Amino acid sequence: MLDRVRAAFADNPVLAIAIGIAVMLAAGQTVAPGFASLQQIAAQLAVAAILAIVAAGQGLVILSGREGIDLSVGTVMSLAALVAGNVMGGADALTLPALVAALGVGMAVGLFNGVGVAIVRIPPLVMTLGTAGVITGLLVVLTQGQTSGSASPLLQTFITSPVLAGLPGIIFVWVLLIGAIHLVLSATRFGINLYAVGSNDLAATLSGVRVRSVRIATYGLSGMLAGFGGFLLLGYTGTVFVGAGEQYILPSVIAVVIGGTSLAGGKGSYNGTALGAIFLTLLTAFLTTINIAAAERQVLYGLVLIGFMIAYGREAKGR
Amino acid sequence: MTTAPGSAPTPPRRFDLRRNSTLLAVGLMVVLVAVNALLQSNFFRPGILLSNLSTFLPLMMIAVGQCYVVLGGSIDLSLGAIVSLVNVIVVVVAETVGGIPGVAVGMVAGLAAGAACGAVNGALIALFRLQAVVTTFATSIIIGGLALMVLPQAGGALPAAYYLTYGGALLGVPFVLIVLGALIGAVVWIAGTRFHTHLLAIGGNRQGAYQTGLPVARLRVQSHALAGLMAAIGALCILGVTGAGDPLMGQAFTLGSVSAVVLGGAALAGGWGSAIGAILGGAILGLINNVIFFANIDYQYQSIVQGVIILLALAAGIFVSRKPG
Amino acid sequence: MAEFALRAAGITRRFGPLVAVDDCSFDLERGEVHALLGSNGCGKSTLCKVMAGALTADSGEVRLDGVVTAFRGPLDARRGGIATVYQEMSLIPTLSVMENIALGNEPRRGGRVDRAALRAQTRGLMASVGALAQGLDPAALVGDLPVDRQQIVEILKALALQPRVILFDESTSSLDRSQVDAFFALVRRLKGQAVSIIFISHRMEEIFAIADRVTVMQNGRYVATRRIAETDRDELVALMVGGRRDKAVTGARVLDAAPMMQIGGLTGGRLKGVTTALRPGEILGLGGLHGQGQSDFLLALFGASPVTGGTVTLAGRPYRPTTPFAALRMGLSYVSGDRGRAGSLHGRPILENLSLALLARRGGIVANRRALAAGMGGIVERLKLKFGKLSHAIGTLSGGNQQKVILGRALAATPRVLLLDDPTKGIDVRAKEDLYALLRELGAQGTAVILYSSEDQELLDNADRVLVFNGGQVVAELAGERLTEYDLYSAALQSAA
Repeated sequence: MLDRVRAAFADNPVLAIAIGIAVMLAAGQTVAPGFASLQQIAAQLAVAAILAIVAAGQGLVILSGREGIDLSVGTVMSLAALVAGNVMGGADALTLPALVAALGVGMAVGLFNGVGVAIVRIPPLVMTLGTAGVITGLLVVLTQGQTSGSASPLLQTFITSPVLAGLPGIIFVWVLLIGAIHLVLSATRFGINLYAVGSNDLAATLSGVRVRSVRIATYGLSGMLAGFGGFLLLGYTGTVFVGAGEQYILPSVIAVVIGGTSLAGGKGSYNGTALGAIFLTLLTAFLTTINIAAAERQVLYGLVLIGFMIAYGREAKGR
Repeated sequence: MTTAPGSAPTPPRRFDLRRNSTLLAVGLMVVLVAVNALLQSNFFRPGILLSNLSTFLPLMMIAVGQCYVVLGGSIDLSLGAIVSLVNVIVVVVAETVGGIPGVAVGMVAGLAAGAACGAVNGALIALFRLQAVVTTFATSIIIGGLALMVLPQAGGALPAAYYLTYGGALLGVPFVLIVLGALIGAVVWIAGTRFHTHLLAIGGNRQGAYQTGLPVARLRVQSHALAGLMAAIGALCILGVTGAGDPLMGQAFTLGSVSAVVLGGAALAGGWGSAIGAILGGAILGLINNVIFFANIDYQYQSIVQGVIILLALAAGIFVSRKPG
Repeated sequence: MAEFALRAAGITRRFGPLVAVDDCSFDLERGEVHALLGSNGCGKSTLCKVMAGALTADSGEVRLDGVVTAFRGPLDARRGGIATVYQEMSLIPTLSVMENIALGNEPRRGGRVDRAALRAQTRGLMASVGALAQGLDPAALVGDLPVDRQQIVEILKALALQPRVILFDESTSSLDRSQVDAFFALVRRLKGQAVSIIFISHRMEEIFAIADRVTVMQNGRYVATRRIAETDRDELVALMVGGRRDKAVTGARVLDAAPMMQIGGLTGGRLKGVTTALRPGEILGLGGLHGQGQSDFLLALFGASPVTGGTVTLAGRPYRPTTPFAALRMGLSYVSGDRGRAGSLHGRPILENLSLALLARRGGIVANRRALAAGMGGIVERLKLKFGKLSHAIGTLSGGNQQKVILGRALAATPRVLLLDDPTKGIDVRAKEDLYALLRELGAQGTAVILYSSEDQELLDNADRVLVFNGGQVVAELAGERLTEYDLYSAALQSAA
């Protein structure tokens, strides 16, 4: 009976997460009325959007296989936020250049990771951890430990103030992104190639796929999306400090895993990841509401990830 | 195309790899010792050498633990967190029980905690067949959180006797030298056991090892528990120098232990390498830190330089243990 | 002493809804070599795993020397006297030959492995098997050995515990003719020592050369047992596929004289200078003992293996692909026989598996699935592919159909030259016939095919011309009347000039 429940969840991760979200909302509303109000939900969605955007990149990297993972997303977010904040300096007119800078910085780091993984063949875990270390050091140098740069009022309004139907602009950007990623994965050559590379990169090579280019591009995309996430984070908090992105690393991986993307690569989609991000954001809000301290929350997140990994089933056989 | 059995890469010609990777490690050691001697005129004085050894010893311990896990085809990203947890457990238990007996109880509790964490990692990976990278990443978060729950703020101290013993001598031989000797002795002894061969088998071709009838799950749990134990011993060594509790102090050791293992010539895919190499790798990383310190690089740049060097070290180590062509 | 060395009765084993073995019985006389024959998926591997203690049966019993067995796993079974030599090898590439042979049963002294005893033990075992272990270095790393030597180590590993019953599951698939002869000599010696042997193989010549009896299985059920002396190849094939077939007529074909591809002195990896030409519609076979450069030749042409010398021209222009991507764009396609490792995109839908090379060749950004699916109709028909829906995962197909998909992928890219690297390894007879028919069709349309096969008969039935390889060079070119089994074998043994 337990196996049937588990099989149902594993085959329908989207359903499982949707149920989880409903449970969270109900629990939150019970403990703190107003938790599930439209206003609150909109606010939570805005926060979830940032995580979901970073998790999108993480998901692509995990799809690419060979134990793909990007542990540098946190530091990239911080770096991009720092760069964007300094370019903007609080001026509306410089918002767009700041965005370009954030995306550029993120992509540069991502491509660097990609080259290390695909050409030098350093395992992704080790490479991205190493890159994160370098960037952390870089951040120390650049900020001298103080906050630096500021977001423009335009950006801040875009992220926090309602634009349509009580939802802030960031939600619509996120929806567009969901559509874009879905399109890329299901209707482009790159998408099919990415799945192929994640599933069996030797077979992909022998079928004419340029595996290294696909991997490098994927890590580049992850960096770029993390950069975008950092830009949005800057808009949300107004200014940035070193380590701002740190708290997004583990959740980005959790969102991808509980969304049903296989850690072995070659299987998964963004819909589950997006819902996973919402679920995690609600979980955080719920835990904060019932006064669970940061250290305990940390423990819970780790347990949630492991719980979902067990529930969704094991590693591919014979590996 | 030769179809080699199993999933591990074909090891290059014996001369190439075995000689090359240890040669690389030894060569780097020689170079670094020379550079260190240049930068620090009294480098070869016994006091300085021992001080360096005290600093390097913890990473060597943890690297050895990581090495056994890697040889078995797995990896453990939670070793740094385990170091933190053991650190705070030892200090808190010692303070609670009090005095020298407190220290003893604390040490036992710490060692047990380290081994237990490792065993849990091994069980999750082997019995539930979860992927090692993300699983140990998750447990590192859990263990790190537990450390913060045990000791929210850095503080607490062990009785002076602890670090005085560590920094002192036993029968005229410096204590840290004894510890190093014990470590090398243990590593050499383990290398001759069936456990070691079977671990290499699992790392080299897990499916084949299973078909041959080796107790794969049990061995994986054991290797992870051993790694946790080594991390715990590493934490005890760190306490021998600092004597104080700190729930965040272990973080850098995770990447450091992986780097040391790679520098020592082990293949991250498993089935190839030696723990002696990991010990050398730990020393190399320590010497590199020395160079950074003594080269009078501006403080704020030190961590970038460290980061870049670690990346380069990883690239070099992986390059050397790659299959040819 | 019980009458039979091994006896299985009423064995049934299910995997979920699939009944892999359905009420099968099998008996093994003492000192006999009993072959087990059947197309892929017929249940013979599962039956053997049950008899060898690697799997438990849902019902039925197995008796070893008259005693009912209850093994807890493969190691237990080995200690009980039954050893299996597997098709997918269980060797550890990063350990030495002697460590592999003794794995799990290393001689110990005081908690540590006794290396001196280990070496002596291994040498003793090698001496006892005669010519088969010639030239094997106990201290060599298994990963450094060529595949045929690895298979020999796998055999030694099974013999290490002096089993009374041995199961050989396609253990000769990587061995060349001389090694197979040495293997048979070993088998005969083992028979003399009252060891009983079960021999699974797809190679009829070997079964007729060494077996005493043969049992045929189909669809998980027992079909028949015959004494080898009282049957022939055609009867066995008929039992396997359930009916006789007419032999395909392969007369000499008329081909264009003008070659489409000229290869001169191609060198790289194991290749030491290969020169030949390829004409449109030709099926060029590559023969010779295993691992003599045939695969390397195909991969070099496909840009998947480095080339250090020589020239190749295609349709008059220089051809120098540095990657498979480039080769594909120039009109070459490659099919690997190692479907699991190098062919199948596990977990991905059949449509993606079919379209991959086509997309690479075509380029572009958009990949409209509906359009792709519509475009695949022709290929699916030509391949006689049996499937549910194109959106189903490739894993839902049988082995033979999966291989057809891999072939379909190569064909969808409309190649001028098709490179086949032992494409029918482990495929059942019916799927093979479909593939051969397709090859002839391709030839008629002007597509050239280079076919490497580890089965001589396959080359004889399909190739217009065969290049026999030895040591990375072509030592003989056989065609027409000179293309016979005898000539193939004798040329294969010839050394390079």
